[in-house]
Amino acid sequence: MIYNFDFGAVLAYWPLLLEGVWTTLRLTLFSTVFGILVGAFCAVVRTGGPAWARWIVSLYVEFIRNTPLLVQSYFLIFGIASMGIRLPILLGAVIALTVNIGAYTTEIVRAGIESIHRGQLEAATCLGLSSTQTYLHVIIRPALERVYPALSSQYVLLMLASSIVSSVGVEELFGISNRIQSETYRNFEIFVVLGVIYLLLAVLVRSGFALLGLAIFPRRRTLGTPL
Amino acid sequence: MRNLAKILTITAISLAVMGQAATADTLEKIKSAGVIRIAIDLSVPPWAFKDENLNPTGSEVETANLLASDLGVKMEIIGTNSANRIPFLMSHRADAVISALSITDERKKLIAFSLPYSGATSYVAAPKSMQIKTFADLSGKRIAVTRGTTNDADVTAAAPRDAEIVRFEDEATTMTAVVSNQLDLVAQVPTLVDLINKKNPAKNLELKLPLRTAPMGVGMRKEDTDLKEWVDGWVKKNVANGKFQAIFRKFQGAELPNEVIAASQ
Repeated sequence: MIYNFDFGAVLAYWPLLLEGVWTTLRLTLFSTVFGILVGAFCAVVRTGGPAWARWIVSLYVEFIRNTPLLVQSYFLIFGIASMGIRLPILLGAVIALTVNIGAYTTEIVRAGIESIHRGQLEAATCLGLSSTQTYLHVIIRPALERVYPALSSQYVLLMLASSIVSSVGVEELFGISNRIQSETYRNFEIFVVLGVIYLLLAVLVRSGFALLGLAIFPRRRTLGTPL
Repeated sequence: MRNLAKILTITAISLAVMGQAATADTLEKIKSAGVIRIAIDLSVPPWAFKDENLNPTGSEVETANLLASDLGVKMEIIGTNSANRIPFLMSHRADAVISALSITDERKKLIAFSLPYSGATSYVAAPKSMQIKTFADLSGKRIAVTRGTTNDADVTAAAPRDAEIVRFEDEATTMTAVVSNQLDLVAQVPTLVDLINKKNPAKNLELKLPLRTAPMGVGMRKEDTDLKEWVDGWVKKNVANGKFQAIFRKFQGAELPNEVIAASQ
């Protein structure tokens, strides 16, 4: 029995695959935007907030980083529904991914913030910057720039991990592929195609982050060196 | 470069050799190994599930045990999920599938089926208060199905375009989705609809639209003709002596559909 590859049978489903790619990208985009907001906010609180707020943020970070994403998604899609709050499945998935990635982002950004030298803050005070200005220009932006490579690979991981929410009924790339597999039984081919698509998507997300980096960090654009 | 070519050649040859070994006489191999590996999805009560003591049970498990004991070998359950039942068979992880596997033309292109030993009629079920008389009434509704099942195929084909079909990985998750109130409608066999009503009486699901009566057979690889011949004889024997009817009655609480009995006499 030599396996006969039949990619035609799988590629005939390209409109479905495209739909899956689109859902995966939307999931990634929304959870990236909200994830970075949540992460940056929590990191600021965790490094400079009042003790009770720090305690809440560290509880959130530790709880999320030490439980599986699958369990978190089940909780949001099925757990909350049994309490009577019915989230649309796609929204539930975005919330699950955001909550998850937010915790990881918090830790990464916190590392960036802690790497800002005290001299920088003293210089900001001497220049008469307000505390908001100090936070925005002296702390957050350089901190993000410093941890940017770690952040972008975390978000590529997020894109790959979004395949997990297929098991709570989201028809993203992996879910669609499982459906194609169950119609064609060509599971070998579909997973080869799926691997290639995920690889391309990862390259896309990575390049997106590289371009975004050039746009939001003028220092990097002009000097071209890492901070 | 030359090394690479060598490695590739050796890989190709060993793959070919492994391939040949796989087409050997499966029935004899099972007998000499003294064990038959049967792929079963253990998330589908009352077909196949784990009892309070976590022992596998259900009509499919009992059928698989009957097959193994009639063949004079031990039975090993290869746990799988609904979508992987056929891939597990094709990739030689299991010798046969006894897992509420409905006989369909699409599947017949890939695998061989025994004569039917069981069967079920699926329905679209919805809360009693919901007015659903025809498939057109499903417009705008969200319906839970298990990905890759005949229910999935039937509902996808029959429901209007603006109905949203929400697909889950296995029967257990589909049931969870409905029991937890995430969804209200589900395409399912009556026994599982009853189970949902038992777990969440507030749902009050009712069978609304019949889909199809699916006879279920033992799934085997096409090249294992010797095994298929033996299993077909075994099915006929156990329909005639009433053992399948008894297993069905015990777990499904209903009579084995007449279509199944007629096909296997």
